[in-house]
Parts: sequence; structure tokens; C-alpha cells
Amino acid sequence: MNYTEKTKLIQTRAAALLEAGEVSYVLGWGATRFADKTRARFARSPEEAATLVYNEHCTQSLAKYLVDDRWPETRIAILARGCESRAINRMIRDNQIRRENLLILGLPCEGTDAERCRSCRAHDPVVYDELLWEPNSTGAAAAAELSRYYRADAVDALSAAEKKAYWDDVYARCIRCYACRNACPVCSCRECFVDMHRTGFQGKRHSATDNQTFGVTRAFHVGDRCIECGECERACPMGLPILAQTQKILKEIEALAGDYEQGLDAAQDNYLGAFDLDDKDDFM
Amino acid sequence: MTKNNGNGNAINSSRTPAVAHDCSCESNPLVPTLCEIIGITEETGDVKTFRLRGTDGQKPFSPMPGQLAMISLPRTGEAMFSITSQGEDWIESSIKRVGELTEDLHDLEVGDILGVRGPYGNHFPVEELKGKNLLFVGGGIGLAPIRSLILYVLDHREDYLRLDVLYGSRSFQDLVFKADLFENWPGLCGTHITVDAEESCWDGHVGFVPNYLEEKAFSPDNCVAVICGPPIMIKFCLDKLAAMGFSKENIITTLEMRMKCGIGKCGRCNIGSKYVCLDGPVFTLAELDELPDEK
Amino acid sequence: MDNKTITITKDDLATAIRALLPAYNVYAPAGEGERLAFAALDESRLGAINLTGSPVIPPKELLFPRSESLYTLDPETGAATVPEIAESTLIFGVRPCDLRGIENLDAAFLEKGYVDSNYAKRRENTTIIALACVTSPYETCFCESMGGDPLAAKGADVLLTETKAGDAFTAAFQTPKGLQVKLLWDSLAMDCGSAPAMTEGSKPAMTEGSKPAMTGQHNTLRVTKPDDLPQRLMAAFDDPHWAVLSEACLGCGTCSYVCPTCYCFDIDRESGAKEITEYRCWDCCMFSDYSRMAGGHNPRPTKKERLRNRYLHKLAYFDERYGMTLCVGCGRCIAKCPASLDITEVIEWGGGAL
Repeated sequence: MNYTEKTKLIQTRAAALLEAGEVSYVLGWGATRFADKTRARFARSPEEAATLVYNEHCTQSLAKYLVDDRWPETRIAILARGCESRAINRMIRDNQIRRENLLILGLPCEGTDAERCRSCRAHDPVVYDELLWEPNSTGAAAAAELSRYYRADAVDALSAAEKKAYWDDVYARCIRCYACRNACPVCSCRECFVDMHRTGFQGKRHSATDNQTFGVTRAFHVGDRCIECGECERACPMGLPILAQTQKILKEIEALAGDYEQGLDAAQDNYLGAFDLDDKDDFM
Repeated sequence: MTKNNGNGNAINSSRTPAVAHDCSCESNPLVPTLCEIIGITEETGDVKTFRLRGTDGQKPFSPMPGQLAMISLPRTGEAMFSITSQGEDWIESSIKRVGELTEDLHDLEVGDILGVRGPYGNHFPVEELKGKNLLFVGGGIGLAPIRSLILYVLDHREDYLRLDVLYGSRSFQDLVFKADLFENWPGLCGTHITVDAEESCWDGHVGFVPNYLEEKAFSPDNCVAVICGPPIMIKFCLDKLAAMGFSKENIITTLEMRMKCGIGKCGRCNIGSKYVCLDGPVFTLAELDELPDEK
Repeated sequence: MDNKTITITKDDLATAIRALLPAYNVYAPAGEGERLAFAALDESRLGAINLTGSPVIPPKELLFPRSESLYTLDPETGAATVPEIAESTLIFGVRPCDLRGIENLDAAFLEKGYVDSNYAKRRENTTIIALACVTSPYETCFCESMGGDPLAAKGADVLLTETKAGDAFTAAFQTPKGLQVKLLWDSLAMDCGSAPAMTEGSKPAMTEGSKPAMTGQHNTLRVTKPDDLPQRLMAAFDDPHWAVLSEACLGCGTCSYVCPTCYCFDIDRESGAKEITEYRCWDCCMFSDYSRMAGGHNPRPTKKERLRNRYLHKLAYFDERYGMTLCVGCGRCIAKCPASLDITEVIEWGGGAL
């Protein structure tokens, strides 16, 4: 099925849902004046449903927008690929959104222009109310072009001195626009610690130290809940390898705890947020 | 609406850079001068009035009524406050404890040093108000900026006609400037004080400021109302004043907004194309109506 | 004014810039891809100069740094020390749109009552060598629709234009500061082997009054901007469409930080044991903290109000106050917005749908 046919299916289903008043809006993608850019589109009427598009330029994951509307009057329909669906599971687990508020229209995905799609292990949605077309024949974990921890592996291969130089360079280039945070579906604090200037947690000054304080704190706060969608990197205007940090945390957790992947269902605990009386404490 | 606010900053209307000048504290409008606290008055449980004199023994500057000062503590930061009165060698600001900086300011004692820069903003139109009846309407800490005008007018009493102060607070304890309200002003102007709810220590008027205002039914003839207080009080008072026949040109208020630079550069205190720190804080209701509703 | 021009072959560019190093702190676009940025040059970095694109972070950062110390305080005495800003700086390769952005900053920092002394000193000490855009660096460039000319930079001290053959630049010296640069390059021509390449008086690629045929056709993005856009947008202040325009916004600071005209800043301090530093840093009106007051009230509580304020500042408020639009059509915010928001849609909506 090509993108034109898929777009048609999306438009038809969205229009029917809106016509029937089953949802308050359908969250999908719409066109911009640029052929290679799409934008989140909140279709509120059957007419607006006809403006939804679906193609390889739908690089943005839509899940984050769900926190803008935590208490919708009627259900929200969201177009969800693997990445959106895993984000939804994790956001439900974090009590950010409620499953009963959502009508999830599953879109088995073949990947987009975004680099993160080249390491995707979950092309097909893991949670949905209906699938709009047949799942990928290769299954959910379609063979990825890049290894799961490709960024972290590349950094791990560096010497200590090289690593320091690598991260110094990254944080010198960070402009602290917070696009990574704002795009990340698991960065869900109502008020981020960096916005609490009056607490003194984080200076607002542009300096590699302050940039690193933000980046590392954020990485640890989301690391064990990261659903590996890569929105952080996609959003970064400076092209920084932000995924390297959360991949590293996931990689270490996997080394400690075995198979570890977030967002596969809505009941999963996050490793660093759970404890057991039998936990190793040999560091104490 | 540009002004030269003293502090050595001349108006520069050309688009070419100013001539480079020597780098010194005096030439940088963002650098505070040091002041010593020479007096503290506890107005209420959460409002203190600080009297400030330059550490050089001089008055830091001579503000016009309604102007603002940026007051800072080295370890905490700065914030903008109205200047409520001034004397030979001092200025005074009344500060309510609402956040981190004001919390720290309230811990200070006489003799402590803080930073002051200013004066900022426009001021009450004392010239245009000459020959008018004036009605001052205040609520809570909102009397602080108005007081600078009341004191000015009392100093130039012959230039103005009938004066009335209508002021209210949540309780007797929350009334600021009690010495003025009950001792200094009653012989000089009409004082109409109210508190929100009955209390055993209060035998005056009870009720909200807007209702009291309506009850008093001041004549709008040749009268200008100057109002400051919590947004909700202002909103209801404006309705009452309009019903009493005050035109929008004859209602003046003073605004607050988050400010950082105080000199119309940093961008955050804008309402539409106006900066509260530079074009305000004093606006007539007619002027405010021209601005976007984002206050 | 000496209107003579000089032609510099691309092979001699490094030599020409080397000649400036003793006299100025020279900044020029350097690096590849995402690393392309205005960088401080020294002998070792001359080879990294890259004039093929336009850096994501505009050159405004050299006049209005991302962070700068305003003064330091002695915690004991409270006495303030103000840092010196004195060094001669030269920015090489400023695109015409970014120069217009600097002219916006001039208005904001130098006009309307107060002069911002740090900005004024940097501006005074800075020489600007502009680079005409023979081709648009971004697909999203729309400077021509905003009244810009990609081939002209009137306010620049020197304007470089690539020759038609593409192997050299013509340098036009437009101000006294520009003539200082010419002096350095003239002496170079006398005592350096590259003299033949620097041909004085050779015909520039374009001269005043004879604009090349390509003018007006540079940008692929064409936007219709009505003259009364500020009035039209102000009339639409309460239009529900602002909510639609903002719903995809993520509320990050990308648009502001890549913008050559955004100048809003925050002032805060860093409190050390021996020294307290009052600094200012770039701020962004899209952040929730930006206009929130002590006590919690925020006059712009949601992204709808914040985005409206940002666009109106660009397209209406600044015009009302300073008589110029605060958008030069550089296209960076469109290229870099992680949610693909597009200011040209606001311009056209303001122009058409009201």
C-alpha cells in the first residue's frame, strides 16, 4: 500500500469518527508549504480530516501533544505508529494520560526520513484500538539498519580522554533551547527543574557546565523510561547526539537486569524507579 | 513617550551606535548604586517599609511620584518596586513578602546594605492634575505607589482641589501606612477606610473597596480617580467608577509586570508595543484600552 | 568616500583574512554541516572558513552574547566592578539578512531613552564584512518578501560579492571602518606574493543601480506581506486562529535562539563565595517562566498567548515602536522548528484572512 492510499484510509476513518462525534479531534499530521515538512494537525471536523497527510516526512512523533490535553471532554483519536504507541504506554504508566481518553488508530510503519527510524525496533504499534492497515510482514521488530545502542556504542568505543572531549564538544554546542525536553514524551514534569530559577537548581547562564547540568540531569531522569523514539535528537536544532545518553543508560540497565525495553505495555516499571529488598547493595 | 530618566542616559534617537564611552558603573544603566537601610517600618505582618540612603550619604535619586526602583540583594537578585515616599536624603519603598527576594529583604536590619537603581518609568501626571479634585482608591499594598502621589499633592496642596483617599484591606492588621491613614491625613484630605470583614478591633466601615466606592458616590465633576490594588479590585472599581460617570481619561492606574532590565530592552514587561518599565507603569484607562488585553 | 573595489580570488581568501588578524579579533563562519558557526579565527583555523552556508546561530551573538557578565560584586562590600569591553572585532561573512537583524538590534538597544552600554561598546568596536547571497543558503529563506535584498548590505563596512565566474569575491568598501580594512588589504597587495590576484578597480559583480537580473528571484519561498500587516494583526488579537496556530508548538526556545533579531534577555546572578556575578543571557518568550511574576500570576499563561506575543512582537509591536519589522526573512526558525511552525503562514494569514 502506498502513502496516498494510506493517507486516504486515515482521512476516511478520521472523518467518520468526527462525523459520529466519537472523538473531539484526531491528532495526526498535516501538510506545510514545504513538501518535506509536515506538522502536527488537530483535525476537529470531517473537513479538517481531509487535510490529514501521511508520508515519509511525518518524522515527528505525536505522543507529546497528549499532555497538552490531559482531561479531554471527549476522547482524542491519535494516529500511532510504534514510537507513538510505546510513548503512550509509558505516559499511561507515568499517570500523565489515561487510556480511556484515547482512541488509538494504529499505523504499522515502514520508517520515515528521520535518522532514528533506522534503529527502530518497533515499527508496528504495540497498543491500539484498531489498525488502519495490515502489520508489517517482518513483525514488530523489523530488521533495523542500525544497532539498538548505535550512539552509545560509538561513545563507549572512545578512550576516557576522547569521551571527555566528545561531551565537552556536545555541551559547548548545546544552546539550551530545551527542544529535546519539550519533544520528549517521557519528559513530563509539570515544571522542569531548569525552569525553577528561583530554586537555584540550574543557572540560566549559557555555559558548558550549566548545559551539561541540564543534559545529564535530564538523561538520568528519563533514561530508564526512554522509549527510544529519538524525538530528542530529531528536535535538536544543533544536531547533538542526545540519544547517546539514554541509550547508554538503557545499555547498562540491560547489562545488569537482562532484557529491558520500555513502553511495550502500560504496566512496566522503570528500573531505577523500582526497588526490591533483595537488590544488590554491595556499593554501600 | 521617551524620557530621559536621569542616570546620565541621554535620549538617542539616531540608529547609529552611541559614541563609545568610558566603562564605569556610572555609565551603565544596569549597575546599581549601594544604599544603606536607615529605617524600617513594619506596616503589617507581611509589609515593611524600607528607608534607603546612598552609602555616600546622598539621596540615591529624586523620583517623581509613581516612579520605580530596582532593588537588589547581592546574593538573591533584583526586583522592581514602587517608591512610596522620599525625603531630603532618602527614598522609601514598601515591600510585601511574596517571593524569594522579598523574603530576604524582610530579614534585613537597619544598617544593612542593598543595591538600588532607577528611577524608572513614567510618573503620575502631577501637572495635568493641577486644579482637579482627586480621588485615590487603593487596596492592600496597592496604596504604596499611590501614596507617593498623595504625599506630593499634600506638599503642593494649593495646586489641587478636594482630595479623598478611599482605602481598604482584608483586615485592620493589613492596612498599610496606619499613621498616615489615622493621624497625618484626616485633617488634610477625606479618608475613607474599610476592611473586608468585621473585627473586634475595628469600628470603622466594613465591606469591599468597590462597594464602599459605590456607597460614597463621589462626584466625577472635575475629578480624576487614581487607583491601584489587586486586579480583581481594580476590575470591579472600574465598573463602579464608570457607573459614577468617570470617563476613561479621568481614571489613572499603575501596573506591575515582571521586569528585568527596567530600561525597555529585555522585553518581558511589554503589553503590546508598550513597556511597563519605560512607558508605564502609570496609564490612564483610556490608554490601557488601546493596548492588548494581556495584563 | 573611496568607492574603489578590490577583487580577491578564493585562493587568496585565507591570505586576506590573515592580514586582518593582527588588527582585529576576527570571526567567520567555519566548520562543516551542523558545526558551521561563527568562530574566532587564528592562523590554525583559517582553513576551516566555510562560506557556502549560513550558520544556524546568527552573528548577533558576537554583539549580544548568549551570556555576558554585566558586573561582579564583592560579597563583602557590595561594590560593583564592570568588565571592560574594548577589543576591536571583525565579523566576516555576515549575510545581508543577518545585517538587517543587527540593525534591528541597534534600534532595540540604542534607541528609545536608554543606551545599552555593553551593546553600544561592542557595536562601536565591530567591523562587519558582509557576504552577498548569490544563492539562498536555506530552502526557507524569504528575505526578499520582507523587503531585503540578498545582494546588498548598505550598513556593512565591506560588502563581498562572489563574481559571476564564481572563483573570486569583489569587495566594496562602504564606510570609514571599511576603508580601514582596505588599508590592510592594500598593504598586502604591495608586499605579498598574492598581489596580482587583488586587482584594484576591477569591475564588481554588481554596482549600485545596475542590479543583476537574478535579483528578485533568489528565494524560492515567496510570501505576500501587506504594508499594513501590524494593523491587521492587531485587529486579529482575539482571533481564535491563534489557538490553531499554536497547537503544534512545543514551547521550546529554538525559534528565538536561531533568530537574528530576537533580543529579549534575562538578568540573573551567580553567587560564588568570593564573587557574585550579575549576568544577562538570551531568554525566550516561549518559556513559561518568562513573564511569570513573583506570587505566580502570568499574563501569558499558555503557549497560545506566548506564541501570539512572539509573532506580534516580530510583526506588529516592534514596527509600532521602532518603525521596522522584527523579521528579516532569514528562514532559520522555519528550517529548525522541531514542530515545523512557519512564521510565513502568520504573515499571510494576517495579510489575507482578515
